[in-house]
Amino acid sequence: MTTLDAGRAATRPPRGAPTRPGPTFPRVLAAEWTKLTSVPSNPWLALGTVVVTAGTAYGLGLFVRTGDGRSGSWVVVSGYVVAQLGFLVLGAVVGTAEHTTGTARTTFTAVPRRLPVLGAQAVVVAVAAAVTAVVALGASYLATTGPRAGEAPAVDLAVPGTARALAGFVVLAVAVALLGLALGMLLRRPADAIVTGLVLVFLADFVLAANPGAATDTIRAALPSAGARLLQDDAALAALDTATHGPQLGPWGGGAVIGAWVVVAFCAAGYRLGRHDVR
Amino acid sequence: MSATTTPRGVRTAAGARTGGPTFGRVVASEWTKLTSLRSPWWTGLVTVVAAGALAFMFATASSVDPGFEPTRDLATGLMLAQVGPLVLGVLLGAGEFRTGAARTTFTLVPRRWPVLAAQTVVVAGFALGLAVLTVAATVVGVLPSAVSRDLPLRLTVGDTPGILAGMVLLVVGVTLVGYALGTLLRRTVPALVTALGVVLVLPIVLAMAGDPGGGTMGAAPPHSVTALGTIGAFTPGTAGQLLTTPASYGPMPGMPDVGPVGGGLVLGAWIVLLLTVAAVRLRTRDVR
Repeated sequence: MTTLDAGRAATRPPRGAPTRPGPTFPRVLAAEWTKLTSVPSNPWLALGTVVVTAGTAYGLGLFVRTGDGRSGSWVVVSGYVVAQLGFLVLGAVVGTAEHTTGTARTTFTAVPRRLPVLGAQAVVVAVAAAVTAVVALGASYLATTGPRAGEAPAVDLAVPGTARALAGFVVLAVAVALLGLALGMLLRRPADAIVTGLVLVFLADFVLAANPGAATDTIRAALPSAGARLLQDDAALAALDTATHGPQLGPWGGGAVIGAWVVVAFCAAGYRLGRHDVR
Repeated sequence: MSATTTPRGVRTAAGARTGGPTFGRVVASEWTKLTSLRSPWWTGLVTVVAAGALAFMFATASSVDPGFEPTRDLATGLMLAQVGPLVLGVLLGAGEFRTGAARTTFTLVPRRWPVLAAQTVVVAGFALGLAVLTVAATVVGVLPSAVSRDLPLRLTVGDTPGILAGMVLLVVGVTLVGYALGTLLRRTVPALVTALGVVLVLPIVLAMAGDPGGGTMGAAPPHSVTALGTIGAFTPGTAGQLLTTPASYGPMPGMPDVGPVGGGLVLGAWIVLLLTVAAVRLRTRDVR
């Protein structure tokens, strides 16, 4: 009897889960990449972001004169004021889409440990945002060729901080997209995530700037909108630091602030994802 | 026998009595739909609290100035707090199309436009209540710094009644702009991005282009109307801002002097235009 059972068990095809490893991180990553690129609205959003960024940079470049204290790098990256909305929405849509459509149930049944999904989404959103930002920066550079040849100042890498401002555009785009993703994963509804993100990275700073003081300037320095300092060259940063009544962040402080926000938002999103129900 | 005939008689009588979906009944059902959701109440609560907190913060920050005037800070915080009514409007406009409840609604009201009109009335009514509470919260917010400086809070003299009325109209108008965009575009995220971009980001972009000093406040140049400022004055966001700026403050940089009434008319024209386009789409295109 026992030999018969052993022989039958050996010849029986394996049941249950396949012997290959479960959802490894590269496979989760590949799945998230497919999800990101197969939804038509995402490439359209990226294309729209590029077009609007370059268009805004061109439009603002028309009004810049050499003598008014703005450098050539400001002209190229000036489209950021609109572009950040696109990057924020990209991250927020990736973070919330599965929760609004209900496919999150499928995803988290396939990846029961859940956190690899968040990690994979962070990677694909960062890559998509970086590629979009590089293309947008190139498009802005080309679009502002005319204004820069005319009245606006030229891009001169010898101006201190110019390279940081140009690279800062890409870094900031990735950071804003990741903040949008983390807020989306945390709040799970696109409207909530987009509005919260826009208030944090943009609107609160603008409104607080209308009323400078020790309290408002300290709050402004602690908001993720401080990351926009990465777009300024050294002269503009020095002017900002002398004008503020709050802490002076220096050239890299703004980037550190938005980086801290991204980390905190991801921790909160990971906690909710790992500990609470997904419906 | 009588048991089967009685319900039939009742049913006939009911059909004869009601006469289809009258406008009053559509308004009543839309009011029930709005007030039975949780999100309008939450959005309203956040708006009121944010408006009060911002007014308190701004008044506290500027109360150290020698020429502190408590009523001047009333409308400043509303530039951020108007996000609440805007989002509320978008969510209410796009909500039925997103959930699919629109199919039921437009089966019951096949002529469709009464629903749009009724929702406009209901949203405006809800927004009016929200606006009054928001303005009350800003007044309460500036109260502590006014008391600490022993300054009277005169709400009925000078420009202040105009500012308060403009703030109420701004909240109602911004809600209706959001509602019209939501019901026109029918999807939450595109409508939200459009609304936030047009109402909040676009005026800032135009102000950046028109500001010659790289964001630093220099000496005020003599006022001249620029093309950019003219465009700016006709965007819904800046028009709403003009609504809360009394005429005695003079025009904003580069803008024609349209005053609060002109700003209100521009905002109203945007609402009418967007609602008309939404009505045309609703009338001529499928609802899924």
